[in-house]
Amino acid sequence: MKHLVLFLSLCLIGGLLLSGCVAAGGTIKIGLQGPMTGDYALEGQGFEKAVKLLVEQTNAAGGINGQKVELLVEDDKGDPKEASLVADRLAAKKIIAVIGAYNSSATEPASAIYNREGILHITPSSTATRLTQKGYQNFFRTAFLDDRQGLFAAEFMTKVLNAKAIALLHDNSTYAQGLAEWTKKYLEERKANVVFYDAINPKDTDFTATLTKIKAANPDVIYFTGYYAQGGLLLKQAPQVGLKVQWIGGNAMNNPDLIKIAGIENAKGVYVTTEPLPGDLDYPEAKKFIADYKAKYGSEPESVWTVMAADAYRVIEQAIKATKSTDPKKLAEYLHKDFKNFPGITGPILGFDEKGDRLGTIHKAYVINEKGEFVPNPKQP
Amino acid sequence: MELLVQNLINGLTVGAFYALVALGYTMVYGVLKLINFAHGDLFMWGAYLGWVGLSLVMLLGLPPGVWALVPIIVLVMVTVALFGALIERTAYRPLRSAGRLPPIVSALGAAFILESLARNLFGASYKTYPGWAEVAGSFTVVGSVTMGLMQVIALVMSLLLMAVLYAFVNYTQVGTAMRAVSLDHDTSRLMGIDVNRIITLVFLIGPALGGAAGLMVAVRYGSFDFTLGWTFGLKAFIAAILGGIGNIPGAMLGGMILGIVESLGAGYISPQWKDVIAYVLLVLILLVRPTGLLGERVAEKL
Repeated sequence: MKHLVLFLSLCLIGGLLLSGCVAAGGTIKIGLQGPMTGDYALEGQGFEKAVKLLVEQTNAAGGINGQKVELLVEDDKGDPKEASLVADRLAAKKIIAVIGAYNSSATEPASAIYNREGILHITPSSTATRLTQKGYQNFFRTAFLDDRQGLFAAEFMTKVLNAKAIALLHDNSTYAQGLAEWTKKYLEERKANVVFYDAINPKDTDFTATLTKIKAANPDVIYFTGYYAQGGLLLKQAPQVGLKVQWIGGNAMNNPDLIKIAGIENAKGVYVTTEPLPGDLDYPEAKKFIADYKAKYGSEPESVWTVMAADAYRVIEQAIKATKSTDPKKLAEYLHKDFKNFPGITGPILGFDEKGDRLGTIHKAYVINEKGEFVPNPKQP
Repeated sequence: MELLVQNLINGLTVGAFYALVALGYTMVYGVLKLINFAHGDLFMWGAYLGWVGLSLVMLLGLPPGVWALVPIIVLVMVTVALFGALIERTAYRPLRSAGRLPPIVSALGAAFILESLARNLFGASYKTYPGWAEVAGSFTVVGSVTMGLMQVIALVMSLLLMAVLYAFVNYTQVGTAMRAVSLDHDTSRLMGIDVNRIITLVFLIGPALGGAAGLMVAVRYGSFDFTLGWTFGLKAFIAAILGGIGNIPGAMLGGMILGIVESLGAGYISPQWKDVIAYVLLVLILLVRPTGLLGERVAEKL
């Protein structure tokens, strides 16, 4: 009896060692870092669920080029200090590529470590401009910078609305001012007429004076890039000074409270430019992914960033397939040069520019309907 | 010209709110030489209590309509007045002989408590008044000059409340006693005036007006959050100083001027620079008249 136990345990240890050996030689190790706990936990968990689902599908289909994929998940809590520790840990485990982090302030220190270790790094959701301005050759993102929303807004206003005179209004926050500046630049490139450009103070409640000034400039479209609380007040007060004009908001206006604050009679017919909700992505890849996601987890993807994380994994998979290599340097080279028009879940990924930023745009115009719901506008640029 | 009229109308409506709130600061300063920092937050509580009242109307299944504001504004004024008297009794009266600084700290403490209470009880998100509680619509004044009906109602209500207060202070016996207390506590006592009662009365009237203003601001703009007290209250405080703190007509004048200057700055120069424009002008006014516009006429001081 005693001998049998010993024999069995030896077998077990031997078996484990053997399989461990095979795994080390045969799998492609891909890291995932994100906030699994803390304020952004929902987003981090969304990353994990999305990528895990795809890795399982890859392995069930026989892996990439015959090699199975092994996913290593680490929690950075959205914290910059944790993010560096996590990056060191993942690098020590000899991963070839990594997806993450969620927020720009965590992605930044991690990207320095991955760059030093020569690991392919794709962030699904960090949009700070400076991340791609460090000259890291192996850093990419599947998210779009705010300038793409500005580009989309300019296209929408000039092509769909045929705006002749445009007013731009922001609230001096980094985000809203950036979006307004980009929009202005793209509008001017299109020779559109910007008749008003200014900011409100988001702490105010009375905007009648601002609206009166806008009215005097006589625009036919106003693009407000700030947040829904002030957006709602602007919509509500505009008729009081006799300002009748088409309003458009940026993606910070995309909040149901906007309608409560403005009142449905003032909010209906207002457009917002925003990333589409996962459920509104009408590409075949998106439909399949969302159906699989629902089947496995019983709910829709948590946010658009969840879907961006799925695309980050699919980009890595595509790069390994196309180059038949797991050398991060070759993969990065491929993504910079030969990776074109890939059918992403979040829409076609036209490619990456020399800095690693995604080309194209996926923004959509939504319109507020009679019931106060945000629905995709039938006409898109 | 039409632009000027529109800007003046916009400025007057904001200014009337500043004035109504400024009255609370000025009355308390008049009798106690204390800056009641909690006043802005009492005003904010007026907005929240109005919201509670309107929610109750819906909860009890009463017919929704603007009529509901009439009993609600009375209840709000009474409740906020009681808040004000309670703060005076607990936070200011025990410190009345402690010098100038301790009551100010106490006032700031009361302000933070009121603000935190509102945030914790009602949440940090924006509260909105139901659409049926406002008089929708606007009309043309002249040419392209437009005014919202709600704007008119708010303006008329503010002016009415100020007129009533002015008449009360100047033409009634209690009002005369109030003016006496503002001149000298000890002499007033010798004249048979119950100084503590007058002070309590001031702490009932000021907050009642503040509460009414809070409700009216919320009805006028439709949404607010717990920071309303700081932003609006601070401007009202500045209006009180501009007009000459302690002086009732001064508070009204200060509020109106601040509203109009802000409105003209935003309307003619730039919305994002309007605060800079307004306050540079105010500093200039105070350089010329350090006691405020109507601050020197001691005899009328409350």
